[in-house]
Amino acid sequence: MNKKKIVLAEDNSTLSLLLKFRLEKEGYELFVATDGKEALELIESQSPDLILSDIMMPFVSGLEVISHLRNKLNLSTPIIVFSSAGQEEMVLKAFNLGANDFMGKPFSPNELVIRIKRLIGT
Amino acid sequence: MVDYQYIYDYYSNTPHLIKWVWWVSALLAISIIVLAVYLKFIRLSLRKKSNETAKFKSEYEALLVEYLYSGDESGKLTDSQKLIINRIKDSIKTPSKRKIIVSVLYNLMNEVSGEMSDSIKTFYYETGLIYYAFERLKSKKWNIIGKGISELRRFGIDEASHVIAPFINHPKSEVRSETHLYMVNLFLFEGLSFLDNLKAPLSEWIQIQLLETLQRFDNQEICDIRPWLKSENNSVVLFALKLAQIYNQFEVKETLMDLLAHENKEIRIETIDVLAHLYGIEAKEMLKTNFNDLSLEEQISFFKLLEKLVVPDDEPFVEAYLFHKNFEIQLLALKILKEINFDKYIGFTKSSNNNKSLAMVKAVKML
Amino acid sequence: MDTSSVKIILQILHYLFFGYAFAAIISYIILSFISSKETIEYIKKRSFVNYKDILSSKMSPSITIIAPAYNESLNIVENVRSLLSNHYVNYNVVIVNDGSKDDSLERLIKAYDLEKVHYIVNEKITTKPLREGIFKSKNPAFEKLMVVDKENGGKADALNMGLNISTSKYVACIDVDCLLLEDALQKMIKPFLEVTDSKVIAAGGVIRIANSCEIRGGKLIDVNLPKNLLVQSQILEYLRAFLLGRMAWSRLNGLLVISGAFGIFDKEIAIAVGGYDTNTVGEDMEIIVRMRRYMEEKGEKYKVSYIPDPLCWTEAPDTYKVFISQRNRWTRGTIETLRKHRKIGFNPKYGWFGLVSYPYWLIFERLAPIFEAIGLVYFMILIVLQEVRWDFAISFFLLAYLFSVVFSIVALYSEELTFHQYKKKGTGFKLVLLSAIEPFLLHPFVLYAAIRGNYDYYFNKKKKWGNMVRKGLVNN
Repeated sequence: MNKKKIVLAEDNSTLSLLLKFRLEKEGYELFVATDGKEALELIESQSPDLILSDIMMPFVSGLEVISHLRNKLNLSTPIIVFSSAGQEEMVLKAFNLGANDFMGKPFSPNELVIRIKRLIGT
Repeated sequence: MVDYQYIYDYYSNTPHLIKWVWWVSALLAISIIVLAVYLKFIRLSLRKKSNETAKFKSEYEALLVEYLYSGDESGKLTDSQKLIINRIKDSIKTPSKRKIIVSVLYNLMNEVSGEMSDSIKTFYYETGLIYYAFERLKSKKWNIIGKGISELRRFGIDEASHVIAPFINHPKSEVRSETHLYMVNLFLFEGLSFLDNLKAPLSEWIQIQLLETLQRFDNQEICDIRPWLKSENNSVVLFALKLAQIYNQFEVKETLMDLLAHENKEIRIETIDVLAHLYGIEAKEMLKTNFNDLSLEEQISFFKLLEKLVVPDDEPFVEAYLFHKNFEIQLLALKILKEINFDKYIGFTKSSNNNKSLAMVKAVKML
Repeated sequence: MDTSSVKIILQILHYLFFGYAFAAIISYIILSFISSKETIEYIKKRSFVNYKDILSSKMSPSITIIAPAYNESLNIVENVRSLLSNHYVNYNVVIVNDGSKDDSLERLIKAYDLEKVHYIVNEKITTKPLREGIFKSKNPAFEKLMVVDKENGGKADALNMGLNISTSKYVACIDVDCLLLEDALQKMIKPFLEVTDSKVIAAGGVIRIANSCEIRGGKLIDVNLPKNLLVQSQILEYLRAFLLGRMAWSRLNGLLVISGAFGIFDKEIAIAVGGYDTNTVGEDMEIIVRMRRYMEEKGEKYKVSYIPDPLCWTEAPDTYKVFISQRNRWTRGTIETLRKHRKIGFNPKYGWFGLVSYPYWLIFERLAPIFEAIGLVYFMILIVLQEVRWDFAISFFLLAYLFSVVFSIVALYSEELTFHQYKKKGTGFKLVLLSAIEPFLLHPFVLYAAIRGNYDYYFNKKKKWGNMVRKGLVNN
């Protein structure tokens, strides 16, 4: 069986590495982008089953990633966004644009795994 | 040879000023060459340094992730974790590497919760990084001290508080701010007790940060803010007023009333806002009676409050200010009248004989 | 006149020129030292800032960005989008369409789903009246945006309209075609919130040159050194002016000008002094001088701040024709401002401002091109009279030239050790080389434009704004 693909867009490289490690152990295939621009390229080339994206990123923000995905590419790939304290407004915007779930930082990687499994299974 | 002779003759016959100019020019020319070469060197080393930083960063990231995933249920360090800690212990002897490690740790600490962030904190203790942060507090340079405090705050090291407390009134505002942030981040409202002894003013910048920090934690029991409302330090009073408003401090009413007579105008205006927020109608009635004693800014502030809390009984009061010479008061008065008695308001659109006011009355009608 | 008195006059002239040049050089050296001190201090302080809290706090003070636009339809939609994406909670954007004859307004209405709203303008400063009125967006995503359509009255008049409309505590006045980095407002508001012992009345930013930089979706993606030598020369000139000159003057609290392309003001004071002066081409300098004067006369402690981070990027002229007309305008603006506020100069009542900043600007900025021109004419007369001691002339010329190269290189050092924007390999060498040739590429034209500016100011009063032909910041 093919592994399910996940694109992770996050500008904090340590967190990316931590999550990549963890999710690969759970049997997913990870593609890591450090900004929104790279994320969009990966999404188009890999057509992942799930997208994890930070809301605030250099160049292209998480919001723009969602809007591009839903409106330009017309894809319904599930999206989980990461947000920090004080970004409540942005989270609301993210949901309006079509995000499926959100995780407020700081979060526990275990909880993220549970939510991912709920959305796409293993 | 002839040339040299010529130059020599020229030089010995030249006035001193010109000799001097030639010398300085030669000096400048040499320094340009030296500076240009050195600039090249600086650019090279900057580039090298940023490559190295990136290299070490990814190396330490991998180590940290490995460390975090090789823990077991017991909460004690496993052998592989001890191995990693020993490797890091070697690296942190070099200041530049230490800096990278601290930033990697902190970057992750902020983003993960629970056991993982505890585990990072353990790492910080075990590797001895904490020792270096304490050392920094002893430095003579203010920026090093500030960095030390900031690091201890970020890693939540509460046992540093007695060492950090003396910096509350440090002459450099950056060090003071870091100290205040440390206190509030680690001890929340209890940490605010530094306000009791604060001599220096609390800038608006740090006030905002302190309030944001406090709001990040829910269900906190706020302490008695009255002493701060009575503080001799005006910035502390202003800060306490903000606390009163955000945390709905109904019990400080008497103290607030006293502040209406404070010598500082900014404090009086803020107090009006807070009173309006907490007590509404009651505060309104009181201020209405004193309206004429208020300064213009306070009057505007009062009208803004009135706009929110107006009742039909206020009509005579409002009517008196429909043609006030201040734009904002007039605008608010017109808006309020339109709200409570539309018919009377329409009457004004016809009767007013002052052109400018008429235009204003009509404009308000369109809103 | 006998020969001996001619000789004496010549001697005196020599010493005057020498003394002037010497004083200028000394002042540059002093300013460089002060600026290095200030820069080190700034960098140390900056490492403590945590902008995150301010950006998300609802308690942060309100700021209105005022951007006047005149016939900018080419890029206006894109530029507004960039203004709307600043990382700050409490701000709004007022675009003042200053009687544009193109379809700017229509484009904005269409792109941002605008509708006309009723809004009572408190006309604290008299301006030209509204034309189509005031517009806001129906789409909540653009709730920060307000577009004001008024009759043409010039840049100062448009800014005044923005001052009347803003309900914020602070206003950021910017050129609509500038590219603001996302953290610009946070960084610029900091000095206002930080001071406790005086009042910050205004803060100015650095202007960086965006020609040839890669910009996408209103964001700066990559910094490049342009190929055009005129633009390159201006980059070097800006580095000198901002990293050495203004940095030093900011430490001395003697800044007389905040670049019109990006500055933040305390609105109350900007309005108290009557807003921008619509009768000058140098309104950006004039308002600072007037605000300072106001504070001095009120006897309150105040400060004009300066933020050296590269936050605002704009397009510089890339042809000599446009460049000369821009500098001509700047010259006239400086003359007008200094003349209007003549009273301040050498007046101890205005303290440091009257005794140091004003005289410095008068002598070393305003009069420098005049001295230089007279010097050149004088030199030519000497050539005709065959009175030139060539070794004198050459040695002094060489000294001045080498000094200017050293000064440029010092500016490059300052850039490398602080903001380090030109990171690409080989750029360092190009910049050093540029320092060597820039005096010949730029200076003659700066001098020419300044002399033309003086001529136009005194003898050609009808001269209006030079229009700058924009190629636009949106490159693909």
